[in-house]
Amino acid sequence: MSLRHARVLAAALGLAVVPGLQAADPPRAWLERMSESLATRNYDGLFTHTAGNQSEVMRILHRVEDGRSVERLVSLDGSGREIVRTPEEVHAYLPDRRVVLVEPRKEDGSLLKAVPAPGPELELLYELEARPGHRILGNDVRIVDVRPRDQYRYGYRLWLAEDTAMPLRSAVLDAEGRVIEQIQFTRLEMPAHIPASAVEPSVDATGYQWIRTGRRGNVRVASVAGWRVRQAPPGFRLVASRFQALPGVPVPVPHLIFSDGLASVSVFIEPGPASGPIPREHATLGSANAYTTTIQGHVVTAVGEVPQNTVRDIASSVVPESGAPALDAGR
Amino acid sequence: MTDQIKEQISALLDGELPQNELNLLVRRLERDPALRLAFGRYALVGEVLRAPGGALASAGFAERVSVAVAAGESAATSAAAYAPSTRRRRATPLVGAAVAAGALFAAVLLLVPEQAEQLQPARIAEPPAPAAVAADIEASGAASPTPARSQRMAAYLVAHGEYSTPIARRNVWTGVLANDPGITRVSYEFSEAR
Amino acid sequence: MPNFPPPDGSTESHDGRGDDPRPGSGLEKTDLELVKRAQRGERSAFDLLVLRYQHRVIKLVARLLRDPAEAEDVAQEAFVKAYRALGSFRGDSAFYTWLYRIAVNTARNAMASRQRRPLDYEADLGEHEQASVQSRLRHVDTPEAVALSDEIQQTVERAIQELPEDLRTAILLREVEGLSYEEIATAMDCPVGTVRSRIFRAREAIDRNLKPLLD
Repeated sequence: MSLRHARVLAAALGLAVVPGLQAADPPRAWLERMSESLATRNYDGLFTHTAGNQSEVMRILHRVEDGRSVERLVSLDGSGREIVRTPEEVHAYLPDRRVVLVEPRKEDGSLLKAVPAPGPELELLYELEARPGHRILGNDVRIVDVRPRDQYRYGYRLWLAEDTAMPLRSAVLDAEGRVIEQIQFTRLEMPAHIPASAVEPSVDATGYQWIRTGRRGNVRVASVAGWRVRQAPPGFRLVASRFQALPGVPVPVPHLIFSDGLASVSVFIEPGPASGPIPREHATLGSANAYTTTIQGHVVTAVGEVPQNTVRDIASSVVPESGAPALDAGR
Repeated sequence: MTDQIKEQISALLDGELPQNELNLLVRRLERDPALRLAFGRYALVGEVLRAPGGALASAGFAERVSVAVAAGESAATSAAAYAPSTRRRRATPLVGAAVAAGALFAAVLLLVPEQAEQLQPARIAEPPAPAAVAADIEASGAASPTPARSQRMAAYLVAHGEYSTPIARRNVWTGVLANDPGITRVSYEFSEAR
Repeated sequence: MPNFPPPDGSTESHDGRGDDPRPGSGLEKTDLELVKRAQRGERSAFDLLVLRYQHRVIKLVARLLRDPAEAEDVAQEAFVKAYRALGSFRGDSAFYTWLYRIAVNTARNAMASRQRRPLDYEADLGEHEQASVQSRLRHVDTPEAVALSDEIQQTVERAIQELPEDLRTAILLREVEGLSYEEIATAMDCPVGTVRSRIFRAREAIDRNLKPLLD
């Protein structure tokens, strides 16, 4: 995202841009500074991502120059896959399939509204704590704990470098404090300049198949589009709604986004298959959970980085607004 | 097992066997375990010459791998539940992780089931008939979703990612880039008519 | 001239050049052909790839694991993973390069799944992995396996010494120096067919001593 965008975003998140931090500063200030660092600074690092007992090693580069930010993520574990994300598009290079996937990024304003915005209510839902930690990669570290106060959300532990607030290590925890997913940097540099070539893909995509998905500019921010959630878990509020183009679905699909200020949950409402209701199902991928059920002939799925019961409760309480759902509203 | 055939194996090991001889030889190797053992021993000679010391495969290792591969295929074909082990294999290798970029990676995940089918046509089990599944069977790790459901799930995760925090989004991107993306646990519940 | 593994054994080193497929080499082409057959369902083709690379993978994995006794278990898993992922191998890299990465990844996961670190463990994972690589010099497992390995070693070395010079030269140029038949033919000033025959006869002579040890 652009520098200007990042600052607007920080403001929208209710985050003041805090120039310097003292050791005694509250945990929230550390989170704010972390968000800003991630969005606005140059960095080049290697990290290990672990979920369950699978792990992958990745390299990440983030380059900000002239207000443009470009991010590149490379798998170092043999697939040779990489993702490059510019303000306009995301490219995924898949050398093992000889395919490049291209997705336009939608800058229609819904992003600002929808990204988790921790307000004062955050402390009602999560307990925040900051304390010093052992050094990582030669850096003094501040550990920020974000502990949920109920079973509807996950916790986080972030090991932030004291000088830059970069998350050298981050873990998603369940209610019992067990690690579900973790990222740990094994090397992290923050150079003043990163050459443009460093964020160009190293895959030679000659002869690859280029697949473009999504539609540029056709997605309108709409109101609830005929559906609402009767009872969301405590703290979760509707923060945005839009339409999502999904492959294989002829109409744009209503997409509702709920957030508690930190965690977010998406709800998708698709027309159901002609063959009748599909089995209810839940799925887990690392710290993301999804739950699908059928409501009035529509396939409703809730997905987010929240525990299973949260997505289940949200999906199960979707109801149409009075009258038939206005699926045409977004076309 | 004549000298002529063994010489062909020797050439095969060196990558110097002409294409037209390859077919017949591979078929012979398939039928003749003694020939496979000879191939293995020739390979061993090379290993020992190149790198003295260190670990070597024990006798029968290659056969055990062959059995494990075959077992994996037949298990998938019969859609049998298997007990979770400490190094847990994914319940289905089909569905990729979310990515913070819209429906893009749904296409990746569209590709994945096709690849799997190329190799093991019977691998993907249909969801069990409603009457057959009453309870949550998550613990047994069985019941793979249909490819269509897997793809849809991936598309949702993908579209959602753009609305996550940077840390969550990064967790999810790495799933796509990993060699073996997959949803780790799927279970079905009997859906009541509404 | 024999190549010895580098003394500190970085994880990225390949022992000897003899079996590293060079781009466009016969070895790489053969591997690719076998992969294609395996992708079409000929499992025996995959068996051949296992036979060819089993020792290399086990050696690699044994270096990476804290507990080398698990090397065969983990190596087996790597091969099974590779088989399942065959559909995504397109030949952009050599097969062994691709297999190597899968083996490293599998070993790393195996290590990770055994290390149930308490939540407060602060050490840098990178440094930790380094440490386990340094300790790779422990050899695999049981006294019997070590003894057999030593005996195999000695048997092969003795047999090599006893070979007639032309056979010994041919097989060393192939296995240790990694030359193709054509290159060996040039080096030894003889036809390619003779090279093929000499290498075969060298292997057969060594195998006569090796077979009773293994079967």
